[in-house]
Amino acid sequence: MSNFEERLLSALTEEIATRKAENGMTTTTTPVRRGSRRRLVGLSAALAGVAAAATAVVTLTGLTSSPAYAVTKASDGAVSVQIHEFSDPEGLEAELAQAGVKAVVDYLPQGQTCKDPRGSAGTASGRFGASIRRSGDGIAFTIEEGQVPAGETLVLTVSKSEDGADRPPFATSLQVVKGAVAACVPTSMPVPGDGGAGANFEDDGGAGFHTKTEGKDQGPSLSTGTE
Amino acid sequence: MRLNEDPAAFEAFYRRHVDAVMKFVVRRVSDPHLAADLTADIFLAALDSAHTYVPGRGSEIAWLYGVARNVVSAQHRRAAREARATGRLAGRRLMDDDDLARMEERIDAERQMRSALEAMRGLPEGERAVLELVAIDQLTVAEAAAALGVRQVTARVRLHRARRALEHVASPPPVYVEGQA
Repeated sequence: MSNFEERLLSALTEEIATRKAENGMTTTTTPVRRGSRRRLVGLSAALAGVAAAATAVVTLTGLTSSPAYAVTKASDGAVSVQIHEFSDPEGLEAELAQAGVKAVVDYLPQGQTCKDPRGSAGTASGRFGASIRRSGDGIAFTIEEGQVPAGETLVLTVSKSEDGADRPPFATSLQVVKGAVAACVPTSMPVPGDGGAGANFEDDGGAGFHTKTEGKDQGPSLSTGTE
Repeated sequence: MRLNEDPAAFEAFYRRHVDAVMKFVVRRVSDPHLAADLTADIFLAALDSAHTYVPGRGSEIAWLYGVARNVVSAQHRRAAREARATGRLAGRRLMDDDDLARMEERIDAERQMRSALEAMRGLPEGERAVLELVAIDQLTVAEAAAALGVRQVTARVRLHRARRALEHVASPPPVYVEGQA
């Protein structure tokens, strides 16, 4: 192997070490539970604190470059979704439909989400779990076979970053809805720290938001679950 | 795959595929510096997406070509728009004169493949993507489907359409239209 290839290998190996060190410092996608009464089951989504990520991962941004999204179906039926840029929600819905997952995708401006509930909770939510991971500047998640059965719909809602559609999102939410899905009615998101106690919504056992801010250089972290 | 955590696993992976990745790149760009940058970008993107590869679900190279495709097509979209950000791992800075000469040889060797790709520019994106991976990069239809994240039957249909469409093309479409990649 030549010099270029060897040098590139060394640089990449260093990159791995750097990333490991940085991952040790930040936990940007840990779902946070509030109180022991509520159990997070089913599809839970983690919200990354973008302000914190922007400082911690500043050397990594701009490394990845790829189209808006990728949907991959594995031989065991699991569907992997990677979103790099929060644009073209209809295209993503179409790709997911092609992979056998009925989905409703809404991208909203920073600080906005869709009014809950979007519909009744899916049947599989007690048995399956999927979580949103950060992936570069975007997000990724995997839907296992059967997690979104016929008659149910995967509902993905993303509150984009004000810095642009290809920046890490402000907030994300993933849920499975049985039957009809209500159209998205944009509404302001609960802002962590607002009023001191943080926001904690409950809708008759439907989807709920849990928000919490950890430390002063950690952005908001929000997880939604369906009971 | 623990690519992004285990340097030894990554090194093995890198050595298995670096040649294929460079070939993939020089079939698509003719600037040796850009080729070096893209090679570095592709492996960085592979680190970013390491969690999306599950051993046993399709071949490693199909997955890596999927990543490579994304990197290269994003490059086409961005080329005119922005100067490269500073502070990233720039492949070109890792090349010395010998490397540059060898990269140019590689680029030369793939000239025919680049003109073949040029002839496919007018095809719809989905069809062109399958034909590229099968005809130019020599993947099987199953691997191409995995790389593109579509079903095998979809890939087969698109490949068929692409081949039929090419038969009807008297001459290659003249211009690559920015933004369609």
